[in-house]
Amino acid sequence: MSTDARVTVDFDQHAPAYRAGYPELADDLRDRGPVVWSEHHGGYWVVTGRDLLGEIAKHPDLFSNDRDPEKGYGGVAVPSPKGAGRGGFLEMDPPEHMDYRRVLNPFLSPGAVARWQPLVTDLADACLDAVIESGRIDFVDDLANIVPAVLTMGLLGLPLSDWVVYCEPAHAMVYTRPDSPEFAETFRMIIRMVEGIAATVAEATRAGGAPRPGIIKALLDARDAGAPLDQDGIEGTLLLVIGGGFDTTTALTAHSLEWLDRHGEQRRRLASEPELLDTATEEMVRYFTPAQGGGRTVIRDCVVGGHAFRAGDRVWLAYGLANHDPGAFDHHAEIQLDRFPNRHAGFGLGIHRCIGSNLARMTFKTMLGRVLARMPDYHVDAGGIARYDDIGTINGYRHLPAHFTPGWRIGPSFDEVIGRWQEEVGRDAFWAGVDAD
Amino acid sequence: MKVRVDPELCQGHTLCALAAPGVFRLSDEDGHSYVDSAEVPPDLEASVARAAATCPEGAILISD
Repeated sequence: MSTDARVTVDFDQHAPAYRAGYPELADDLRDRGPVVWSEHHGGYWVVTGRDLLGEIAKHPDLFSNDRDPEKGYGGVAVPSPKGAGRGGFLEMDPPEHMDYRRVLNPFLSPGAVARWQPLVTDLADACLDAVIESGRIDFVDDLANIVPAVLTMGLLGLPLSDWVVYCEPAHAMVYTRPDSPEFAETFRMIIRMVEGIAATVAEATRAGGAPRPGIIKALLDARDAGAPLDQDGIEGTLLLVIGGGFDTTTALTAHSLEWLDRHGEQRRRLASEPELLDTATEEMVRYFTPAQGGGRTVIRDCVVGGHAFRAGDRVWLAYGLANHDPGAFDHHAEIQLDRFPNRHAGFGLGIHRCIGSNLARMTFKTMLGRVLARMPDYHVDAGGIARYDDIGTINGYRHLPAHFTPGWRIGPSFDEVIGRWQEEVGRDAFWAGVDAD
Repeated sequence: MKVRVDPELCQGHTLCALAAPGVFRLSDEDGHSYVDSAEVPPDLEASVARAAATCPEGAILISD
């Protein structure tokens, strides 16, 4: 049975109203859902029901991630960006997307991620050491922007110190609205970053291989039926890893630290019961949903979950709203640090599940744990909080300043940590197991 | 109780291993879940049921 009765709502995940109303606006939408129609951005379906979203995500044969204007496919962003290249394997359908995921998976499995734990701990402590004597920190600028960025450099096989080259554009390309005056400068930064990545890939190709082990080398060395992977696909994938690796974990960390500051009892509980950290992490991902949604294009007329979709329709899978579906989550508007089961959609669902989820969890838990241990009385300076103007792509923060009782440094300087780990990740033994196939 | 992970549905969310680490194992290759034995020891039945309930993909199938 299907229904063509279309419920139209005034909805735009990029609008200030969405930013102001999330996540409470899930309550207003739930009676209209599980799928509603928005006339913004050329018209698109907004899927807010957890079960319907799961069904759609299981059907890459009906809902395409691809961005191909000739086919009328708009990719994963709503609205579809003009002019830019495809966003790596996230904007590919099977089987093409597996050519890339197969290469990245061994770097990002739970077992593979564990090798980076000591680096992440050292980095987090070095970031905290840099400010610990001052009693002041910006959790975004001084910690949560830096650790995931350095880690991503290591995974890619770029010099760890290059994190500064990519950090600002990687965040700005997410939080700057295309209609804002800052966009022109942001766009220039992004172009420089893209050109930098293309130059790095071209140089490594000329030299017959990347200078360091890592994802770039693995992508260049990969062969699909004897042929190397497509150059555009590799560059898009590197941008995807940088975009995904930098911004999402930052957003999760900032939201969680801000919330824990306003809920002192929960903060003390989490600090004294570290075994809660696993379920608390999933709950923060559910509640704040750093990556708020993903776009699809309907491949052919179909009925899924009793809802009719027409070929060419654009669809936005609203992970952040599905994570507040009261049919799937009791007391969805409450953060319950021990919530479990928790079948949230915060890492997406189906074959495009966030490939870096294990890395994100480990990095988040480490940063949060070190802050709770070393700055137990931190207090956010509410006047300095700056969330992203547009949270429709990433629900993040630009700044989150706080103060705390000053403490003592415990380790070497940030530059020393980077230098020591640069040597460590240059050793083949560090990467053992990655080239298993 | 018997348990099976549907490899077509599993996408490597890893929450099953959080619920029942003694039963669900994660591939070093892609983090997808598998079980060494379909037979669930009686003392682990409750945690396996929780794993099935938390799987975001509904990939864990339990039978008697």
